[in-house]
Amino acid sequence: MLVGRRILALGACAAMLALAGCAADDRVLGVPSVRSTVPPKITAEQLVGRWGLGAYHRDTDRARTITQARQQCGNAYVITKGTNGGVMMHVADSSDLFELQVRVGGDGNTYLGPDGQPAGSEWDREIVSVEQDIITARWVDKDNVDRYGTMVFVRCGGR
Amino acid sequence: MTQQQMPFWTRFVLGLLVAAGLSVAATSADAQARKPQDPQEEWDIEDQPGYVPPAGAESLVGPWEKQLVYFRTNEAPGTIVVHTSERHLYLVQGNNRAIRYGIGVGREGFQWKGLVSISRKQEWPDWRPPPEMIQRQPYLPRFMAGGPGNPMGARALYLGATVYRIHGTNQPQTIGTNVSSGCFRLVNPDVIDLYERVPLGTKVVVRQAASI
Repeated sequence: MLVGRRILALGACAAMLALAGCAADDRVLGVPSVRSTVPPKITAEQLVGRWGLGAYHRDTDRARTITQARQQCGNAYVITKGTNGGVMMHVADSSDLFELQVRVGGDGNTYLGPDGQPAGSEWDREIVSVEQDIITARWVDKDNVDRYGTMVFVRCGGR
Repeated sequence: MTQQQMPFWTRFVLGLLVAAGLSVAATSADAQARKPQDPQEEWDIEDQPGYVPPAGAESLVGPWEKQLVYFRTNEAPGTIVVHTSERHLYLVQGNNRAIRYGIGVGREGFQWKGLVSISRKQEWPDWRPPPEMIQRQPYLPRFMAGGPGNPMGARALYLGATVYRIHGTNQPQTIGTNVSSGCFRLVNPDVIDLYERVPLGTKVVVRQAASI
């Protein structure tokens, strides 16, 4: 039911975009986009590659999760380049790939999400930190955060 | 939740809204970014990693509630007997009594029987989705640290050298059903109770049909 409601919300968003004819506008649903001067913590190019993917809810599990994620490179999460400058990735709970863009929100945080909505919207991840070969990300949507916690992408050898 | 389980009105409105969204004269990339394009795409989140059941959902009633029952057996007190077909786990107490727990068991093709012993005990076990689950749900983390909301639940009792376990769950509604890949799941309060009652080496008898 929860997923159904979220699909409805997304469908409603798409319908409103259609009515507004604003697919190429930089205003979405009446919300002006905010252009930050803060550089993003990562570029799309840096995201491309193979990653061990782990998740944890308690900070005490972070180090262990990074180790375990690295060991999952045999079943890596693969990120490829999109055709519009973004990267091909999944959003929460959807098995389909979408082109996601790295954007900086009005709050100065770096987000990764689909075009058409402001940075920091429901389908976005926040890129919390980037340190060497480890990216820490967290979903914006609270329900997704409750379910998936904090996710770590640990770069695997080779691209 | 699958599309089939979604109420009709939800699917109907969803179809209208998504169709409206797709009618935008935008580039294919724009349309793709607006997701989801295909109302038939699968949104089955199955084990719902991270889902924490609401308060009270783990208090089972009726046949799935933990209870002391009459239980005829030749097994020694302390033995665990799993009756897969009944979807009950018995902890033998002696004097023809046993503590009975409601469990979720393997779905068709994933049931088994045998004699094993508890080889390992783990609090808040980690979860690694099996490769076939990753194929279906490629967005899942390949490793999820144990904790509340973890599909493996609060405790795990490893069964011999097999891949099977008696463990908790974050989906109490699956107790009494054939849902797993061969493991036996209890609600978290029950698996914590069982965990504290049984030591390493405990004999576990897994039966597919109830004995008389």
